[in-house]
Amino acid sequence: MATIEQGNGLDLRSCTDKLTDNGKGSSHASDPEVNGDPGETQVDKYGFTGGAQQHTGKFAEEIPIEVLRQREAKWLEMLNSWDKWMAKKHKKVKERCQKGIPPSLRGRAWLYLTGGKVRREQNQGKFQELDSQSGDPKWIDIIERDLHRQFPFHEMFAARGGHGQQDLLRVLKAYTLHRPEEGYCQAQAPIAAVLLMHMPAEDAFWVLVQICEKYLPGYYSTGLEAIQLDGEILYALLRRVSPVAHRHLKKHKLEPILYMTEWYMCAFSRTLPWASVLRVWDMFLCEGVKILFRVGLVLLKCMLGSQEKLKACQGLYETMELLRAIQPQYMQEVFLVHEIIELVVSEKDIEKEHHAQLRRWKETHGDLHCKSPPRMHGAKAIMTAEPPSRQDLRQRPTIIVESPLAPKTVGKREEDAKESGKTEEEKQKKSIPLPQETVIPYRPPTDPSPLLKHLTVQGSKESLSSADHDTYL
Amino acid sequence: MGSDESYNFVFKVVLIGESGVGKSNLLSRFTKNEFNRDSRTTIGVEFSTRTVQLDNYAIKAQIWDTAGLERYRAITSAYYRGAVGALLVYDISKHLTYESVDRWLKELFDHADPHIVVMLVGNKKDLDTLRTVPTEEAKDFAEKRGLMFMETSALDSTNVENAFSEVLKAIHKKVASREVTRGSICAVTLSNPTSEAQEGRRNCCKSS
Repeated sequence: MATIEQGNGLDLRSCTDKLTDNGKGSSHASDPEVNGDPGETQVDKYGFTGGAQQHTGKFAEEIPIEVLRQREAKWLEMLNSWDKWMAKKHKKVKERCQKGIPPSLRGRAWLYLTGGKVRREQNQGKFQELDSQSGDPKWIDIIERDLHRQFPFHEMFAARGGHGQQDLLRVLKAYTLHRPEEGYCQAQAPIAAVLLMHMPAEDAFWVLVQICEKYLPGYYSTGLEAIQLDGEILYALLRRVSPVAHRHLKKHKLEPILYMTEWYMCAFSRTLPWASVLRVWDMFLCEGVKILFRVGLVLLKCMLGSQEKLKACQGLYETMELLRAIQPQYMQEVFLVHEIIELVVSEKDIEKEHHAQLRRWKETHGDLHCKSPPRMHGAKAIMTAEPPSRQDLRQRPTIIVESPLAPKTVGKREEDAKESGKTEEEKQKKSIPLPQETVIPYRPPTDPSPLLKHLTVQGSKESLSSADHDTYL
Repeated sequence: MGSDESYNFVFKVVLIGESGVGKSNLLSRFTKNEFNRDSRTTIGVEFSTRTVQLDNYAIKAQIWDTAGLERYRAITSAYYRGAVGALLVYDISKHLTYESVDRWLKELFDHADPHIVVMLVGNKKDLDTLRTVPTEEAKDFAEKRGLMFMETSALDSTNVENAFSEVLKAIHKKVASREVTRGSICAVTLSNPTSEAQEGRRNCCKSS
């Protein structure tokens, strides 16, 4: 088992009522402050209070604040004319994803990259409709058993019956209603949980849909054939990337399904330290499944790629143990991202191997039971397949901040400028954010207070909890 | 806990049963003496070992754990390979998990070694007030099917040691009595018992 902790400061005896709790605990009892000693729990910047993925601060890539601000401005610009960037400057988008999406915009960027935004706009009211239904009791029962078992060391999901777990239920339930023939697969829960850490339930739902339909089709379906095939593809690609590792796995007959299942089905969200998970997802949602293959290959190569490393690894079980405990230096953000970018494994390589493995599969297993549509290799492919309208991509924030720097007419001028297709130069000239953004204009960190005095926040009647169109800046 | 340094046998034992019945906590309770109400959903394969003393032998129990959900059944053959024992777990407070035992048995005999030792385990015995599966009924069922039987609680440790020990003893007995022929239970190197005692630490799980 990966880290088993002795609970999160709970006295088991005092919580016997929760043992039968189906995740519907009363809100006061699920308040994390009630359960543990608030003074003792340290929450890291990602929300983790413990567990293996908690940020230790070691070897972290710290971006200087000015750089972060610049990146945010660039991303805001991209998001404002997303279709143009994706059509003409996709390489730049990709580069920026590789650098890491600024945390404040990650949720929104993921929504756009995956095409979740477009799906949401084209299906307005759909999530609400699904959300209002009670769902198939069979699926609800299984989902409820899992609600407290996703990232239990993350403050968002620690509380039984808390908002995080509630939203998780809503998203997963909606999926089973959206795709009743597929229902629920347990690995969807960690995926949905990661999404919920960055965006509200409705957005998380549509991104989950896109991941399940476009990025990883068949992964969560009955039979799990797609994941088995990808396991074979991974193993086949390993031969070129690390013949030593490949030979070792072959010798001990360690089938891919025994080590890559959790990696792939959870898109490494349960394997890597959190900073690395986010970087991998930034790239995965931009470039597609080849990123997952590269991560897998890098880890296999690092852990099994030399005779020296294999000395301690004399059998199938020992090898599995080794792969279950990847050394931290190989999973560290800077190292891993570099290795991923450097590894030459393309979509073509994967598709080629896919065909070869599919042929082999049919010889031994017969036809696939579950015929999924072909996968889309990233954001551009998704967009090309279903070009969205301008309207679909328009940002619709619910919290509008009156910027003291931008007179209202500027907004209109900029709107016109965009319409007439001005060059990038024009766009770069503007130093003030567009009024439809909910951006508080940037000031040097040394002097924030005078600005704040002038701000008048236009009332958003939405509550601060998981409302549908909150922009989580 | 027992030393992992040297052992005479390695027995691979698999945990099977519906999602949420407590397989992962039985694993952690037995191998690490730990229990976690919020342990993560098992995706893929989890495993852990513990070496126990049975008579004069050191037995390394290699316990495997996997997802209980229906669709994971598709990827089980690798999981069962070389297993000499199985704990088929249900939750005494959820009758549905007991009703699927037959289906699990079928899967076991479709994929696992015919000589595999099976124990039916009614877990969550601490929830006696919420019991929906009577002990006697389950015990009878087990007897009819030729299965061992025990009720356990991973939460308060009741019978966890016993359950695993009994299974390991039964496996050992089968192995020692040569009830199985060489190669059929391949996790264990079958040869003269006296020479095995001297073999020491090279008995890795040689799955085929």
